[in-house]
Amino acid sequence: MSHTRADLEIAAFAIDEVVEGALTGRDGTTLLVASPQLAVGAGEPALAEATVEVVRPGDRVRITNVLDAVVPDVRADDPASSFPGVLGGTWNEPSDPRIHRLTGVAVLPVCDWEASGHVTADEFPPSYVDMAGPGQDRSPWGSTANVVLRCVAARGAPVAEADAAIRHAALELARALASTTLDATPTDVRRVGLPDTSDPGLPAVCAILQVASEGPLTDTFFDGADLRELMPKVIDPVWLSAGRLTNGAYDWPGVRNTTANYQDLALVRALQRAHGETLRFAGLILAPGYLDTAEAKRRGAEASAALAAELGAAGAICTTFSSGNSHTDTMLTVRALESRGIATTALVCETNGGLTDHVAEADCLVSTGNEDELVPAWTPERIVGGGNGDAGRAVAMVHYLGSCVETGDGAWTAVPA
Amino acid sequence: MTVVHYLNQFFAGLGGEEAADHEPIRLEGPRGPGNALVAAGLQIDLTVACGDDRFALDEADSLATLLAWIEEAGADVVVCGPSFGSGRYGYACGVLARELGRTGTPVVAAMTPDSPGVLASEGAAYIVPTTANVAGMRDAVPAVASIASRLAAGTPVGSAEEEGYLPRGLRVNARSEALGAERAVGLILAKLAGDVRTEIAPPTDRVAPPDPLADPASAVFALVTEAGCVPQGNPDRLPTRHANVWLRYPIGDRAELAPEDYLSVHAGFDTTEANRDPDRLVPLDAARALVQAGRIGRIHDEFFTTTGVDTPVAVSTRMGQEIGAEIRNAGVDAVILTGT
Amino acid sequence: MGIPTVFITALPTIAQMVGANRIVRGVAITHPTGDPSLAAGDELALRVRILDRAVDMLASEIAPRTVWEIDG
Repeated sequence: MSHTRADLEIAAFAIDEVVEGALTGRDGTTLLVASPQLAVGAGEPALAEATVEVVRPGDRVRITNVLDAVVPDVRADDPASSFPGVLGGTWNEPSDPRIHRLTGVAVLPVCDWEASGHVTADEFPPSYVDMAGPGQDRSPWGSTANVVLRCVAARGAPVAEADAAIRHAALELARALASTTLDATPTDVRRVGLPDTSDPGLPAVCAILQVASEGPLTDTFFDGADLRELMPKVIDPVWLSAGRLTNGAYDWPGVRNTTANYQDLALVRALQRAHGETLRFAGLILAPGYLDTAEAKRRGAEASAALAAELGAAGAICTTFSSGNSHTDTMLTVRALESRGIATTALVCETNGGLTDHVAEADCLVSTGNEDELVPAWTPERIVGGGNGDAGRAVAMVHYLGSCVETGDGAWTAVPA
Repeated sequence: MTVVHYLNQFFAGLGGEEAADHEPIRLEGPRGPGNALVAAGLQIDLTVACGDDRFALDEADSLATLLAWIEEAGADVVVCGPSFGSGRYGYACGVLARELGRTGTPVVAAMTPDSPGVLASEGAAYIVPTTANVAGMRDAVPAVASIASRLAAGTPVGSAEEEGYLPRGLRVNARSEALGAERAVGLILAKLAGDVRTEIAPPTDRVAPPDPLADPASAVFALVTEAGCVPQGNPDRLPTRHANVWLRYPIGDRAELAPEDYLSVHAGFDTTEANRDPDRLVPLDAARALVQAGRIGRIHDEFFTTTGVDTPVAVSTRMGQEIGAEIRNAGVDAVILTGT
Repeated sequence: MGIPTVFITALPTIAQMVGANRIVRGVAITHPTGDPSLAAGDELALRVRILDRAVDMLASEIAPRTVWEIDG
């Protein structure tokens, strides 16, 4: 079972300054953003409002109601096929796919679902990015220039439609920003995709990426379609870089995955770097978390383990999506793998009460941090995104976007004290 | 700054085991070991005390009273103990520390690392490790005074390693030099090479509940106790504390454990009532009644006994495993264990 | 497979903390299976009731670290 298709080339264009101006374009490492002209969300009946605002590291700003983070990407060989499904195009096995990517800048869609009556008070936990203060380094996007897409959902619009409109607007904006590089010659290029052959003496290691899709505002999308019926399946890591997997889950920002994580998954990068050196990257499995019943969880775990065995893996790295009973899915998957003689490592976040779930076979864990730890109180000068933003109150780590993400994209971990 | 000191009945000078039921009480200034703390440079403005048994059996009310007094005093720091190896006193210190932690009041305690108070505190206290007995007072006092003074003054206190207190079981966030994904690749390669490492230690020793008895009416039951119940004269010299041995005694045809034949040598509780009827510790007479009624099959012909006072966890674990092996070999189906 | 054990103690919280699974709350620290304030016959009846409860617990599926009162 070959998981490698055509190589995907990613050309990175560094941005170290974003200025708002009369047009959208790029001048060296400066990105120009003409906010009013971007016409985001135009013609979307489910959106009452959509505006663009730039926020920079060092600004005494807390961004609130942050839904997601998106890396500005465009398919340089076929821009219409950027973010397949959501933006209307498709991934049709291109022979020479190329991505142009901006680094140092991110698109952050924000939306106060409670203000538009789509969720009840306190139904969604707060979601923050601090651009200064003690919480700045808790989210990776405290250090990027952020093009904030502020959306207001239309009252009475079905929540799934409003959400689809926001995701569409955010990905379109990401594409538009990256498109400022289409005329440029790339200098920083890497290839995603693996040579099919490598030293058979090296141990084969696969990765199991756990996602969850539980309904509107808690979904994950592949080619724009939700993954509510996902059963474990082998996927091509190239598809992640191509923007086929996108996020639509907005609760517990510190521990569930963003679109940006999928676009540039550190675990795939690390395994590809090690491929041919210390291991063979045996493949990537997409697996569901939060399965509903003990029986479903057991079957899902067995299915993932069976695929890992088919890939010929001697070892497997399992990621986790968010908190709570998804940790049981992770642990059961670890058990199923180990019972087939496949060594496992799993990434999980911790709480003040310890691990959420554990099995004896989970003897090799990566800690992505303690989600309960309180970050000291901060009073920003400005709040972007609505609400009182818990100004002046200590905030738990889990409320910072991407702080303890269990894909291993972050550097936070927990140590004994 | 205001410092409050929590003591049990003994250290507060209210009496020994007979005063273990003493209600919570407020006392001006330092008492007992509090005077040593003052000599070591820590002021003590108020002492609150409670009997160990009173706290254990009336926890909600005792705790509410103590917490109210501490809040009223406006404590900047609370010192609990030192409780050394005492189980009940340590537990009370730990629970009080945990509750004070929830109000943001810093707490310093001192006890053996094995004390139930360590777990009960849930990481809320800076706990100075001590010996099991009071001879450790001389070493504990300066350490407690030093940490407590600084906490009251708001001066930073160093890490567990630097200051010598027990790690509080907290997991604090820190930036690693490598991304989690890179660490995961490192760990899987190490594991594949036979070197199993983890960033999160497994939860402490837990045993899943064994399957329930299918048919108690046909089952054999063994009686086991840590209440220090032994034949009169303590012929095999079961220690009254720090026991690292367990003993077994035949039950034979006895209908009960009669006071003229048995007593408790346990140093950790007032044995007066138990010695008037040892069935109050090892319920043989009631077990016989259940056999008579056909409720249970029979009682194993020995009971197993030790004294659970200042017993380190590792020793308790070993004794449990040894008794368990005997019981399994003897074909016993279930165990009734009594504790004080 | 383990041997089901029920722990009768007046300090069930500590018992839970150290991992005992079947716990019945005893009468008092100084007399877990007795009550000196009762007349002899009543005390024995209480003791039989405690033990009966303990046997019930031994014959029941329970979640880890469960505490039962004497009268449930």
